[in-house]
Amino acid sequence: MPVYLALVLLVIVASIWAPAALGGVALSAIAPYGALLGITALGQMLVIMTGGIDLSIPGTFSLAAVIMVGVGQQADDRIGAAMLTAIGAAAVVGLINGILIGGLKLNALIVTLAVGQVVIGVVNRYGQTFSVQSPVPTAWSEWTTTRIAGVSPVFWIGLVITILLSVAFRYTTVGRRFQVVGANPVASHVVGVRVNLNQISAYVGAAVLYAIAGMALAGLIRTPGISVGTRYLLGPIAAVVIGGASLTGGLASPFSTLAAAFFLTGLNQMMLTMGLPTSLQLVVFGLVIIGGMLVSGDRIIKGVERVLRDRSRPGRRNQGTLAVEGGET
Amino acid sequence: MKPRVIALIAVLALVLAACTGDAGTTTTAGEPTTTAGAEVTTTAAAGSTTAAGGENPLAAYGEDPTSADPDLVLKALGPVDPSDEASWNIVLASIARATQDLDQATIDKAMECWSQPECDTGSGGDLVMGYADGGGNTVNVWRAVSHMEAVLQALTYPEIGTIVSTAANFDPDVAVHIAGIQFLIQRGVDFIVGYPDVGVALRDVLLEAKEAGIPYTSFSAGWVGLSDQEGALVPGEDYLTVVGEDLCALGESFSEIVNTGVGTGEVALLGGTPGNALTLGWQRCTISSLADGVDLVNPPANENTTTGDTSWYNPIIPDVFRGLLTTNPGIKGYAYEYADGLFTGLQVYEELGIPVENLTLALRTDEQTLFCDWVERNEPTYNIWFSAGGNFQSRTSVTAAMMASKGAEVPGEIVVPHVMRQVTAEDCNPDRVDPVVSGTSLVPDAVLTQMFAG
Repeated sequence: MPVYLALVLLVIVASIWAPAALGGVALSAIAPYGALLGITALGQMLVIMTGGIDLSIPGTFSLAAVIMVGVGQQADDRIGAAMLTAIGAAAVVGLINGILIGGLKLNALIVTLAVGQVVIGVVNRYGQTFSVQSPVPTAWSEWTTTRIAGVSPVFWIGLVITILLSVAFRYTTVGRRFQVVGANPVASHVVGVRVNLNQISAYVGAAVLYAIAGMALAGLIRTPGISVGTRYLLGPIAAVVIGGASLTGGLASPFSTLAAAFFLTGLNQMMLTMGLPTSLQLVVFGLVIIGGMLVSGDRIIKGVERVLRDRSRPGRRNQGTLAVEGGET
Repeated sequence: MKPRVIALIAVLALVLAACTGDAGTTTTAGEPTTTAGAEVTTTAAAGSTTAAGGENPLAAYGEDPTSADPDLVLKALGPVDPSDEASWNIVLASIARATQDLDQATIDKAMECWSQPECDTGSGGDLVMGYADGGGNTVNVWRAVSHMEAVLQALTYPEIGTIVSTAANFDPDVAVHIAGIQFLIQRGVDFIVGYPDVGVALRDVLLEAKEAGIPYTSFSAGWVGLSDQEGALVPGEDYLTVVGEDLCALGESFSEIVNTGVGTGEVALLGGTPGNALTLGWQRCTISSLADGVDLVNPPANENTTTGDTSWYNPIIPDVFRGLLTTNPGIKGYAYEYADGLFTGLQVYEELGIPVENLTLALRTDEQTLFCDWVERNEPTYNIWFSAGGNFQSRTSVTAAMMASKGAEVPGEIVVPHVMRQVTAEDCNPDRVDPVVSGTSLVPDAVLTQMFAG
């Protein structure tokens, strides 16, 4: 719920200081970029639900983007091959992460950071095999920038993925099991659920989502470059947390995560529209993320519950007060 | 003076300028200025390509500015007026070494030195050249070409036996940029050529290089902080020299273009990494010389900050344009260093459904992507003016460092003259090896082919 309140607050602030940012055309322009962050955040959400974290996003994201250039070779008939290669390569990265973390029980933060560095190295090396700033195939670029019902197809892809994940979590056995394992891995293990497989599949699924986002961004900006994923390290984590998930694992909402991604994208765009200097943009962005984390998840609900509980039990509160007063005397 | 009298004088001045036959260019001297849409001259024979100060003023240092090929000078700079004598001679001396007819062995060696972190030039020379780029071959074509220009220049000096290159790949972590230069110091290079993307953050490591007796020369107006910036180093004292345009003159040239092309209306300035000296230098002077009636939609927070920061990085550029255009869809002019970056930004016009028309661009570099897109659009109210890509300036840095190694007095600032030229259909060469390569680069096509053939 807090993320939706944050979105409303953002709309109110924008309507006062940057009303042009709320125009239909402006919103449709940022929609694909919000969806890109959303898709990446959904991947990170899967990992965080298992109690892990994935810092290999920039590498995997960039890998998929440059594969669209390298395998695509600016030929429209190679788009399919490029997409399959990108998704396959990302899945391998996710599998390595998953085996090291889920199978060998290594620390997720260190493993994904290290694997991410290896992938960035591979991307750098791979980037030398074709011309720097080469474009993706024209048809791919044109498709990502076309309009379906007035919005880029990248937005619709993000929305479809969000719906699929929500349905899976709510209505499928696999989805429910995934949530249960994240919420209580020890109990799940005791009742015979394969926790390791759950973790490995989370990293693989996440990497595939990063690849989808990387391919989409490559199409949107035509010449992605080898460091195109650099900006997607912290944003997805922030979106997941603002979306209400706990970094210790457990339940999370795909729709709230997507909404948080749009909140962050909209905030960034509003600051650009307002003409804030880069230094101030970074400060505001950081403060808003901290603020979002403070009011995220069940903090507000728990706070309200605590207040209500205290009010409904005056005797207990009085006892506490007397005890304190007694202590003072 | 009454406005009518001023207007009359202005009209007469324009007529006079048009009659001199130098229409289409505006130079650092500031004399001929034309209106957009005037006859365009891009192949003017004007401008000096000869050395100043006698027969061969740099003979004692093994250089010969008098032998610079006039056609190459024209290609690299356009029809410029020379800068000060000392600067101009070094600029010409560097162009004099820009041999275009290279044998395959030299090309192969250049490719090796360009693509490897370290190479033996094969000359048997004792000197080790360090090249420290804040960008890198794999992240940006302009950086890749500038690196190759420096390598090719180094290969013309038999004294240079080894070339060691580092690249920070635009890493946002300043430590990565510092580490590159520290590595070169520890490697024991004899001089460093580079572009200081993170500016004054390199202060300490460059002072460390100075302590170690390693001169640092930057190119493309890569000041390690402008003189009035806190922590700035002083070229000529703290580091050998900075090669580049007179930034204020460049900024004023930009404002002349947008003042004339826009008339009245909104303009925006774009820049590179936040606070970088190149952008800050020209933006200050552009802002102070914008005409009445030309409104800057994105003024900087103060005179020590840049505005329209794109980091010269494609993934960021659309965000910046979107921020500008959602509130100011009627922007009529831009000033920016990076033509290819503006090409990336134009896609936001499509996103927002804003037609690309009534637009005047004042740019520094000359990537073919934008120019060919301009030709394709065929929109008469959309005009582009550019100066020069400036890739060859890394050659000038190498030459300056080599002259200093032979005892020459190198000025702390080597001023590269500039001239603004209007883009015409001839500026789009669809057969170029890579459309993102500047048309003004002095890297021979045979080398570019190997660099970018993929």
